[in-house]
Amino acid sequence: MSADFIQLLVGGILLGGIYGLAAFGLSITFGVLNVLNLAHGDFLMLGSLLSYGLFVWLGINPFVAAILVIPAFMVLGVGFYLLLLKPIADKPPHQLLVASILVTLGASLFIEDITAYFWERPVTGISYTLPPMEVAGVVISSTRLLVLLFIFALACAMQLYLKKTFVGKSIRAIVQGREGAKVVGIPISRVSALAFSIGMALAASAGAFYVTLFTVTPVMGIPLTIKYLCVVVLGGLGSIVGSVFGGLILGVAETLTAYYCGAEWAPTIAFVLLILILIVRPEGLFGAKK
Amino acid sequence: MVFYSVFVLLWIILAALPWLGFSYGVVWIFLLAVSFTLALSYDIVGGYMGYMNLGHSTFFGLGAYTTAILLNQGFNLFTSLLAAFLLAAFFAALISYPLFRLRGAYFALATFGLISLIEVLTVNLRDLTGGSGGISTPPGNHMLPAYYMVLGVAAATMVLSHSVARSKFGLGLFSIREDEEVAQSFGVPTSLYKGLALVISSVPASLVGGIYVWNMTYVSPESVFGLEIALSPIIMAMLGGTGVMIGPLVGAVFITLVQEFLWTKVPYFHLAMYGTVLVLLGLFMPGGIVRTRWVKPFIQRLGLGEAVEYFKNVDAERMS
Repeated sequence: MSADFIQLLVGGILLGGIYGLAAFGLSITFGVLNVLNLAHGDFLMLGSLLSYGLFVWLGINPFVAAILVIPAFMVLGVGFYLLLLKPIADKPPHQLLVASILVTLGASLFIEDITAYFWERPVTGISYTLPPMEVAGVVISSTRLLVLLFIFALACAMQLYLKKTFVGKSIRAIVQGREGAKVVGIPISRVSALAFSIGMALAASAGAFYVTLFTVTPVMGIPLTIKYLCVVVLGGLGSIVGSVFGGLILGVAETLTAYYCGAEWAPTIAFVLLILILIVRPEGLFGAKK
Repeated sequence: MVFYSVFVLLWIILAALPWLGFSYGVVWIFLLAVSFTLALSYDIVGGYMGYMNLGHSTFFGLGAYTTAILLNQGFNLFTSLLAAFLLAAFFAALISYPLFRLRGAYFALATFGLISLIEVLTVNLRDLTGGSGGISTPPGNHMLPAYYMVLGVAAATMVLSHSVARSKFGLGLFSIREDEEVAQSFGVPTSLYKGLALVISSVPASLVGGIYVWNMTYVSPESVFGLEIALSPIIMAMLGGTGVMIGPLVGAVFITLVQEFLWTKVPYFHLAMYGTVLVLLGLFMPGGIVRTRWVKPFIQRLGLGEAVEYFKNVDAERMS
């Protein structure tokens, strides 16, 4: 275990935490609405750009920005739901699938193209660093550690919200069975709107951390959504703990691939993992067997 | 029968086009026929079977690259095209095993990821594919033979698509789209049919890919794995109407005309416009143009009412 390897591992876990947080949001929206939101990665991108803007123009610290983007994107999420997803929510399954892919993919292309027009050059991260610290002979950037703590806290808060509060319980009830939830009097449409906005806020919040570490480009949305898909399938469909673990696995795998095989091979690992898990264990690591 | 006579007549007119002096029209019809073939072959998986294969252009790109590499090695065109479609069909068979374990939106997203995987591979395997710079094939003016070949492939794809729709296999595909579990319990070999459908739809796509690169004499990752190439056949099929043979034709003509008049005037926001079209389609017209109130009677008069009606009945049943 050389110091290099531990550095890599820390970097991978951090990236994985970001993936996990965003994939968690994707998993919630899919569970509640039965719609796979192909524009999810674009919300991470928008969250990154907003947080970058806040930092550059107003000098707001990225950790505060990660909190600030949450309400902003929840409002945006409700708007997105009401405008694009509510009209198609009650269609029969096959039509819902086709309509949802068309609508979310279209929205994704629209967001990317418009953003790319106004934001020509890629944003190369926020230069926000705290003094590094040394643990057992390994130098670890304390910014990274703090980001990791933040993500962990956010995931825990999310889990508590879903398990303990009434609204959280009704979200889980809808995930388990839409019809049953309707029968016991849960207002499906309102809770769906809330769940969708939470999913979007998580993606945007993950984006605020993403920009502190990596380069952000307007066209990164769809590749990112594909990575979240890999994470969600890896962890098991509908499992929240699973999506966090899936994220960690993908993050570490990507960092190691980039180091040992060259950075140009890193984008392939997500797909290789996806294919592998589909062959070996299609229900995912934490998913229940059908 | 009206429908078939119209088609035969249309093809005779198109075949005569180069001799009437419409040289710009020939290029235009060539590109239209390429898109139409892609849209129609996509529809076997996307429309008949109901699995949205967003990565259909992977087969187009594979066909293009295989043909280009073999042409540069000194093989003749027919050997290269044969190799191209065999490779694409083999690849489709290989990839169908893991991918068809996913359903619905997950399948769509995974196939979309397939394009970027193959694109990364073509960029990284520099010795074989020339990297991001692409490769040129032996030059020469192949417009006329390429035009006839693409017309031939397009016509063959129509016959293929038609005979699939009329066969027991096609019925199996429809039943998978409506309800896979029920289809399976009625004895439809779903895994086999799904794989077979993907292989069948890969063949025309790889063939036109090969012919396209032979005519254009240049191929790069951007030109065959780009977003617009990936999305336009699907948008054509959806806009025209999936699951009916005339749907992709209507969509292809419509989109190509729009591109012709709009793209040249407005240099920006092409993808945003595609996106807007997709959103509007999903919200208001998931059945496509051929199933709208104004067009449907006309389609029925052509003798194609059966397929259009079929969808309506199924949906009406499920709504109740």
